[in-house]
Amino acid sequence: MADLAGVNGQREHFRVVGKPNLPGRLSYALATGIAKFGIDYVLPNMLHAKFLRSPYAHAKVVSVDTTKARALPGVVDILTWEDEDIVKLSTGGFGPPKPWLDNVAHEEGAEVAVIVVAESEEICEEALRLLDVEWEVLPHIVDILEGRKPDAPVIREGIPEVPSMFAMGGKDNPPKQGNVSYSYVIDGDIEAGFKEADHVIEYDLTIPAFASHMPNPPGSVAWWEDDPYHAPGKTLHIEGAVQRREQIAALYGMPPEKTVQKGLFQGGKYCDWGMRRSQEITPLLAKRTGRPVRCVNTRAQTYDFLMKQRYMYLKVGFKDNGLITAIDDFSIADGGVPGSSTFGTSGDQSYGPYYTMRCKNIRQRMEIVDSNRGMMYVSGQHCPFNWDAGTMAIYLIAEKLGKDPIEIAKINLHGPTSQDDPNPVPSFEACLEEGKKLMNWNWHPAGTKKLPDGRMHGASFRYQICPRHAFSGYDCKLEYRNGVVHLPTQGPVTGMFAVEANAMVVAEELGLEYEDISIDFDYREKFTPVGGGSDGTTASAWAMKECANILKQRLLEAAIEEAENPPRPSAMFAMPKPPSPFKGMNLKPEDLDLMDGKVVLKADPSIGVPLADAVSKNIFATYSGRPPDALWSLGMGRMLDTMNTAYCEVAVDTETGEVEILRFGVVADPGKIMRLTSLESQIDQVMYFSQGCQLLEDFVYDKKTGVKLHNNMIDYKKPGILDVPRVDRKFLETRAGNAAYGANGISHSLANTHLVIIAIHNAIGVWVDPPATPDKVLKALGKA
Amino acid sequence: MSRGDQVKQGGNMTLTHEAAQAISADKVASLPATPAQYRCPICGKICVNHEDLKFHYANEHPDAIVPIIVKLNVNGKDCEVLIEPHWTLQRTLQFQLGLTGAKQMCDSGACGSCTVIMDGRAVLSCTILAAECEGKVIETVEGIAANPKWKTLIDSYCRWDAMQCGYCTPGFLVTAKALLDKNPNPTEEECREALAGNICICGTYPRHSQAILEATMKMAEGGE
Repeated sequence: MADLAGVNGQREHFRVVGKPNLPGRLSYALATGIAKFGIDYVLPNMLHAKFLRSPYAHAKVVSVDTTKARALPGVVDILTWEDEDIVKLSTGGFGPPKPWLDNVAHEEGAEVAVIVVAESEEICEEALRLLDVEWEVLPHIVDILEGRKPDAPVIREGIPEVPSMFAMGGKDNPPKQGNVSYSYVIDGDIEAGFKEADHVIEYDLTIPAFASHMPNPPGSVAWWEDDPYHAPGKTLHIEGAVQRREQIAALYGMPPEKTVQKGLFQGGKYCDWGMRRSQEITPLLAKRTGRPVRCVNTRAQTYDFLMKQRYMYLKVGFKDNGLITAIDDFSIADGGVPGSSTFGTSGDQSYGPYYTMRCKNIRQRMEIVDSNRGMMYVSGQHCPFNWDAGTMAIYLIAEKLGKDPIEIAKINLHGPTSQDDPNPVPSFEACLEEGKKLMNWNWHPAGTKKLPDGRMHGASFRYQICPRHAFSGYDCKLEYRNGVVHLPTQGPVTGMFAVEANAMVVAEELGLEYEDISIDFDYREKFTPVGGGSDGTTASAWAMKECANILKQRLLEAAIEEAENPPRPSAMFAMPKPPSPFKGMNLKPEDLDLMDGKVVLKADPSIGVPLADAVSKNIFATYSGRPPDALWSLGMGRMLDTMNTAYCEVAVDTETGEVEILRFGVVADPGKIMRLTSLESQIDQVMYFSQGCQLLEDFVYDKKTGVKLHNNMIDYKKPGILDVPRVDRKFLETRAGNAAYGANGISHSLANTHLVIIAIHNAIGVWVDPPATPDKVLKALGKA
Repeated sequence: MSRGDQVKQGGNMTLTHEAAQAISADKVASLPATPAQYRCPICGKICVNHEDLKFHYANEHPDAIVPIIVKLNVNGKDCEVLIEPHWTLQRTLQFQLGLTGAKQMCDSGACGSCTVIMDGRAVLSCTILAAECEGKVIETVEGIAANPKWKTLIDSYCRWDAMQCGYCTPGFLVTAKALLDKNPNPTEEECREALAGNICICGTYPRHSQAILEATMKMAEGGE
């Protein structure tokens, strides 16, 4: 159990935290359609805006004549990339500074060169058709294996190589050649590691690209309004750029106080943190036209990557007992279009399963290939880093040695403190014990188990750490007002119910119920429980717990003060309060406690006063800070606290090639469960993500034109309710994390790209790259 | 202040079922019987009535197709709505009637987020022209939410987190209601079959049948 300092010391008994089936505070708004997302806003006299989008995978707008488009009735405004108002807009994101809107499109469907504002979306589209655009079609790369060849056309002359989020490789990296940048990370002595090995295996795998696919198409509506409070000038009101109000304000040189965003419903934006142009441009267009402007992407325009494609080749040396001695990892990664996240490329090299292993001889060489495939915004919802490459190594070693992969994992995992720690990780051991029971685990070699219906049975296993990123600090505030505790927050209202978890912590610490805490959603408030991964719930709750205890202390002081010197009623004819039972007892705050909505005497809790009667004054408490650094950030995987294990069972029909996931199993130790119902949902979600990318989802391009062929929800198949398998879950609470109550979190750690693929191999003895569609399975079996 | 009052006051800041029901009822009650204005979708000119708009088109936009009036019955209210003939029902509900429960996600009849009930059947409002809906009885999530009969179902949805980001949830809820209209006591398999056309990116699938089954059990027992 973690030893947390101060008021964040451990609590043994919980009334509220961990409780299931407590509705989210805005769940009724979401269920009934009252909740308005950016795309839902419709204002009187509203205009619409649309971008010119490139029909080519890579092209330059040499010139554009807008005369005919401007003459179209209903067209109100047209801007090009050369307009001063556009040039003045600055950009953020990854990579070198770039124009906010360019005349070069780096992928098919990219916004380029022109924005049209008109009375309706249809008029916008007609105006775009009337533009006389002179295109210079440039060579494109949508197949990165082609793009890395020496004779491939160079698509990004003069643009510096891909920067790394974590500055991997550094000066030892070879210089960029053609479309290829290099990122090398070398630990230990790879040659010595292979010399030490009794066996060497070599294998390759493809990390599939899959879509971010946020449910609510991104977009915004903006308008300018008179402001009687903050002079001079009008106030900007923008809806649809949730959590980015201050960035929007900065983009337009507006003080945050004069930038309004009432809607806090963010939609499904899981680690896809990038702002789309449609979310940024409306304030400018509204200012130019003097009317509200709406700009929304279509579904087809919402196929950005949650993960970029990567081809990996691995060579792993190991001893007779399965202990890995050397890992040589070579990969070819899609660098994406300019501005793409370095997650999926060099950002994935600094951490992963490799550092959970005892092996210290690791070489990672990555070629990052510029492409015209698409954009990946900051994303971690993908299978992070190289986890599946390591999972495959463990599986293959087990196959080679005829051993259970769980035993191979145990041999290779180092202890809690470092790669030299010989001790077992308690959380991992506990997960394994429960996992074996959950799955009736009985390992068999590949291709050896036939089910009664004739299909082949396969099973797989993987482990992960439960990361808490600890990048974030939190500014908490609690207000006690008219007898009620308020938790003001800017939200956002998103899928993880993190605000609710914070309210549960406040209720726990103040002896109240969850329903007693008033969560006040207000865009002007500072507190937001958003952080890296599960920091949103567990680390913010640590800070909120501190804040709640500051408030508690002040409430108890006030209760004593008001007991001794009852305040005069604030209302003119109100009756004075009855005397407090605490009067004359010469109490100190530590003599009192808060229980069941009352201030009570610790020595005799039957003596108490309802909180609202005991304290009539208004009190607030603030706390700014963060929990102790997470082991994830301290050790980047070399220090281990809470862990999880995942399992998959499949049945493969060798006649049809059809794969059925019989069930997923998850045993996870989040340290401490904060909000059970959403924790369960989070597990289901990542397992369905995993199913989708391994069996169903794929980015398909026409190589000749570079055009995406399937950016719609019919051809790009996400799992539906009839597709998803059973997910059996078991949670452990070792309290070994160091966020609130010893929690860590689950985050995206269970997302994976090869758990199902390995189970398929275990069933049929051959590899099928994801997505393992029936045709690919049959091909792998030599039947197609 | 008693503890009960205290909870109530805290609760007042929360969007409870009762509050959601009241807001939905207001939305239904305020559905306009006739168009609020006759605005030219091409130039923005406000006309006096439909005839005036037609006259304006004849003079100013002679080659364009004149907007039409379509008579819809939405959540029990007859509404005359001014639309362009190509408008979908989803767009009409959002842009002319202020109903935001039928959500636009896929725009191609593939996700179920825009589901409404028309003449007793769950249909996809993004692939139906509003002009085809004249005379049909249309029920949206706002109508369901306004009806106390469905409190139990909505409560179960919220208790079970049958939503994460919540964008697709109204579509699921409408589909669930359409199922229960026809089959008040469905099995889990029947729930799954009914919801097969609804996509949730957040992976809440098991929650829906859980919520529906809990609701049907409670409703059979008499409500709460």
